[in-house]
Order: sequence, then C-alpha cells, then structure tokens
Amino acid sequence: MNYQRDKEELLRKVEELDMEFIHLQFTDIVGIMKDVTITVEQLEKALDNKIMFDGSSIDGFVRIEESDMYLIPDISTFTVFPWTNFHKEARLICDVYNVDGTPFEGCPRNTLKKMLKEVEYMGYKLMVGPECEFFLFNTDEKGNPSLETHDDAGYFDLAPIDLGGDARNQMIVALKEMGFKIEASHHEGAPGQHEIDFEYDDALKTADNIMTFKMVVRIIAQRNGLHATFMPKPKIGVNGSGMHLNLSLSDLQDNNVFNSEVDELKLSDTAYYFLGGLMKHARAFTALTNPTVNSYKRLVPGYEAPVLIAWSASNRSPLVRIPAERGAATRIELRSPDPSANPYLALTATLKAGLDGIENKLQPPEQVTSNIYEMGADEIEERGIDRLPINLYQALQELSKDEAIKSSLGEHVYSRVVTAAQYEWKEYSKYVSQWELDRYLRKY
Amino acid sequence: MNTCKIVVADSDSKNREIIGGFLKKKGYLVHTAADNGSALRVSRSIMPHLVIMDVNLAGGNAFKTARIIEDDKISSVIFITNKLDNFFYDRLKSMNIYAYAAKPINLEQLFQTVEFSINNVNKMNELKNKIEQLETSLKNRKKLDRAKGIIINMLNVSEDEAYGYLRKKSMDMCIPIDVVAEKIIKKYG
Repeated sequence: MNYQRDKEELLRKVEELDMEFIHLQFTDIVGIMKDVTITVEQLEKALDNKIMFDGSSIDGFVRIEESDMYLIPDISTFTVFPWTNFHKEARLICDVYNVDGTPFEGCPRNTLKKMLKEVEYMGYKLMVGPECEFFLFNTDEKGNPSLETHDDAGYFDLAPIDLGGDARNQMIVALKEMGFKIEASHHEGAPGQHEIDFEYDDALKTADNIMTFKMVVRIIAQRNGLHATFMPKPKIGVNGSGMHLNLSLSDLQDNNVFNSEVDELKLSDTAYYFLGGLMKHARAFTALTNPTVNSYKRLVPGYEAPVLIAWSASNRSPLVRIPAERGAATRIELRSPDPSANPYLALTATLKAGLDGIENKLQPPEQVTSNIYEMGADEIEERGIDRLPINLYQALQELSKDEAIKSSLGEHVYSRVVTAAQYEWKEYSKYVSQWELDRYLRKY
Repeated sequence: MNTCKIVVADSDSKNREIIGGFLKKKGYLVHTAADNGSALRVSRSIMPHLVIMDVNLAGGNAFKTARIIEDDKISSVIFITNKLDNFFYDRLKSMNIYAYAAKPINLEQLFQTVEFSINNVNKMNELKNKIEQLETSLKNRKKLDRAKGIIINMLNVSEDEAYGYLRKKSMDMCIPIDVVAEKIIKKYG
C-alpha cells in the first residue's frame, strides 16, 4: 500500500525533526482557514483518519444534528513552519468527510477536486499562477490594525529601508523554505501595498498554496509588528488588492493546449473557446471571485482594476489579458479576482466557465486594442461591451441565473455561499456610512 | 562607536521617561516603544543591543514579542515585572539572559543589570560565533578529506597530489575549495 508507506515515512520524519504540534487545516465556505491543532502523539490517529470535529460550529458547514465530521489529511501537503523554533510546528491540509466515509459536499477543497476530475475526464489539466497583492499596515497601541503605512514608495520603487520591505523579504525566505518557488516580489502601486508571485502549478496545489501564502504573510507581518490584510479595497483613493489568475490548460502529457503556431495571436481554438466561456459567464462567477461587499469598491474605473467584460492581447485595462509569452507559458490572465475569494471555489467557477466555452465552442467577442478606460459610454454601448456586476447583490442575482456555474458548486455549497453573501449584503444595506452623513446631514 | 542602543518598551509614558531619561544620562542611545507592535517595529529597524520590556506591555503578549525578538536574533530582552511568580520565572528560563528588574524600579540596580546583560550578551555572541566558525571549518575539513579519498582512489595519486588537484580546480573555477569538494562527493561519492 502506497498510503501506508507514505504514512510511515511521515511519522519517521516528524520524529526526526522533533516536531511538537501539527496543525490540521481546512477551509470553510467563505474562504477562512480553520485549524485543529494536535500534538505529535496524536498524528498517527489523524493519519488513520480518526480525528473528528464538530462541523456545526464552522461557517457554512452543517446543521447541529449532523455535526460530526472527519478530517482526512493529505500527506503530500506536510509542511514545517520555518518560523517556529522553540516549539516546532508543521501542518497538513485536510479534506472533510462525512461519518459514513463519503466526501463532505460542503468542503470547498472537495468541490474543486470534483471539478478537476471532470476536466481530467475531458483530457485536460488546469494550471494556475496567482499574483497576490496585500497591504501592510502598522498596528496601534492596542495591537489592532490601523490604516497607517510605513512607507511612501510607489510601484517598483526601490524603497528606502522600510519595515514593509524587510517583512516581505522574510515572507519570501519563509515561503521558500516551505517549498514555494517565488517568481517575483515587489512594492505595488499604493503606499504599503505589496505583491509576491509564486510559480504556477496544478489548480489544487495552487489553491492550497494561496491559503498557505495568506497564512504565512499574516504571521510574518505580525512578527514584524505589522498587520497584513487581503481586504480588496482598504483605502479610498488608492489601488485595491487583486489576485490575478493566470490560467492555462495542458493535456495529460503536460503540453500546453492554448498554444498554436497557425493563429495570428498564436492561440489555439481551445484557448479561444475557453476565453469565450470566461466572457460568457463572467457576470456569474464574479460572486465567487469577488465575494465581499468591499470587493466591488475595487472594481471601479481609475484604479487598474477591470470593470468591463472584454479582452485584449496587449492592453492591461480589460477583464482578460493574454500575456505576450507563448509556448509552454501561453496563458489567459483573469484580472478581476481579489484575494478575499475562496480560491477553491473561485477556481471551480472560472474553470467551469472555460470548460463550458470549450464544450459549446463559444467564440469570444472581438478583442479591444485601445485603452478601455478612455472609451466613452457611447462607444462601449456601440461595441456591445457588458460590465461586471456593480455590487454583491447584483453579482448574486447573476449567479442565480447561471445554471452551469451553479451546478459546478453543487447544491450545498451554492446555497451556503448565497446565504452567507445575502447576510453580508443585508447588514451592509442597513449601515449608515460616514460618506452619507458628510453628504446629506447638512443638505437635507 | 561604543554607544549601545537600547529599546525601552513600556506602555506607561512616565516609566518610559524615567527609565529612558536615566539610561540616556548614562550614555546609552535610547529608543522607546509604547506597545508590542511598535516594540517589534523599532527593534527591527535599529537592531538594539538590548530591549527592556514591561511584561504588561499593551497591544499583545510581551512574552511572545520577546520570544520573536530573540528567535529572530534581533536582540536580547530583559523584563520589568511587578509579579514575581512561577509563571514569570518559567518564562525567564527560556530567555537569552536570566536577568530582570522588579518594580518598584531601583534605577542604579537597573543600570547594573543593563551593563551586566549587554556585556554577557556580547561575550555569549562572541562564543557563539567562534563555535559556528569551528563547526564550519570542521565540516569543511571532513568534506575535504572525503573528496581527497575519492580522488586518491579514482586517479590513483598521493594525498598531496589529490589536495593539489582540488586546489587547482578551486582556483580555476573561482569557487571555494569546500564547494569543489562537495561537488566531487555529490558526483562520485
């Protein structure tokens, strides 16, 4: 048995490394990482799939009468936390299973796995490379995050020796030790904003990596007296944080199937169909790639975030850009997702959109070559360019109309996502903001 | 430049003033912090010789912050405490220096503790560096011996010739001799 061998190897490794605590991690429906910490003595029990937890206390999981769930660790995800040296700690990412031994359909990782099986059945593999942006803010005297940053550097500036840059370097060192291949890291457009890009991998691994990445960034920031936030738009008047997804399909022999020598843009029919699918379902999957009220404050004109559903081979303004690299690096860059998205669900939905395009041979609209930010309203209408939902409420309505995307999530996940988002929207709608007070208090 | 840098981390502004002012008079370069987050930020940016930290520092857990400062080799920490219980002594055991200041603070005593701590830390670091140096040179020596053994066996040469071969390779390739040895062990060992 392979599993038996892997298990014994892991137990040996854990003993050799003198580990003390193992974190069993999984992700809830709204994309928050959950953690059950066990001592190393309990690891064997965990690897025999005997660790249970109460699912009813987790957002979007189950009702109280069906609350017992099992955590099934994925041994390949074993990673040591490099910042722990007093008590050594490591983690395992887990899938959630029902008591009867079937995969729990409310576990987002299971949802993505199911989708990936469907792709594999069609003869493809989804490869994803994320570009994750975040802000580093100082904490105040109570230890709470503030909106104060430690630097005033701009995009690609070689910043003066600032704490943010130091912290970013520490993050990179930690991520490298955890097996990440870092492609680039730099200061982003806004003060206190940073980006770290890591190498693309298959979709499941990348989704795991995004969750791990967010955890590492937060912990290292905290060790620097800073607060890292993946909130899409924390500050008015400066760029928000995005999580561009570079998507490509390869066949089961790992050849990129988006590449073609005959086409003018060197893109294959499959790539065009995938793109067509993304364009068609963009309004629906936005509820998953941009799942918070705040997400839509980023998707406004003027801050390098996409607003209109269009694509271009060169211009960076529309929803989809086709980066210039070809061959194995041929890919489609989806620019709307933000880091508040649950990566498992966001990838499930975008993949479904692309596959629907391939299955139904959907041709994308003509590409736009001019700067879309400068187009007038008339021109946009004339060319029939649609726009992304303007708020969470509209995004949910669009999602409810799209059977393909809904089916990819499954009934359970879909209803929980909608319930959670509707609650957010309701709470938000009731709230009277400072903007309204400033605007109307004197006027009326 | 012998001026030692010290961070005084205390949430009470009066304490910061009294302790900071006193240490300044004694010739130290003093920076202050009023909470855990700024203690970390200030320490990381100035890399002080010592951090004096009140255990009740606001905005987090002072023991955790001290752990980070020592784990990441930023500095050493001595605590100011008003509660000398077992929990405190337990925490103290895991710190670089077993030294603290109890409230109410006797400034002259604090000065002695600070001097004692900085001197001890310097000595400790010297020793640590020496040990590290010795460890690496011992490791390199072992590597060199193994590589020499491989060359002697493969080329049927004397020990001196094997060493000459390694030295020449190192000079030709402009890389340290232990790296050459490592490459040979990796390829032929």
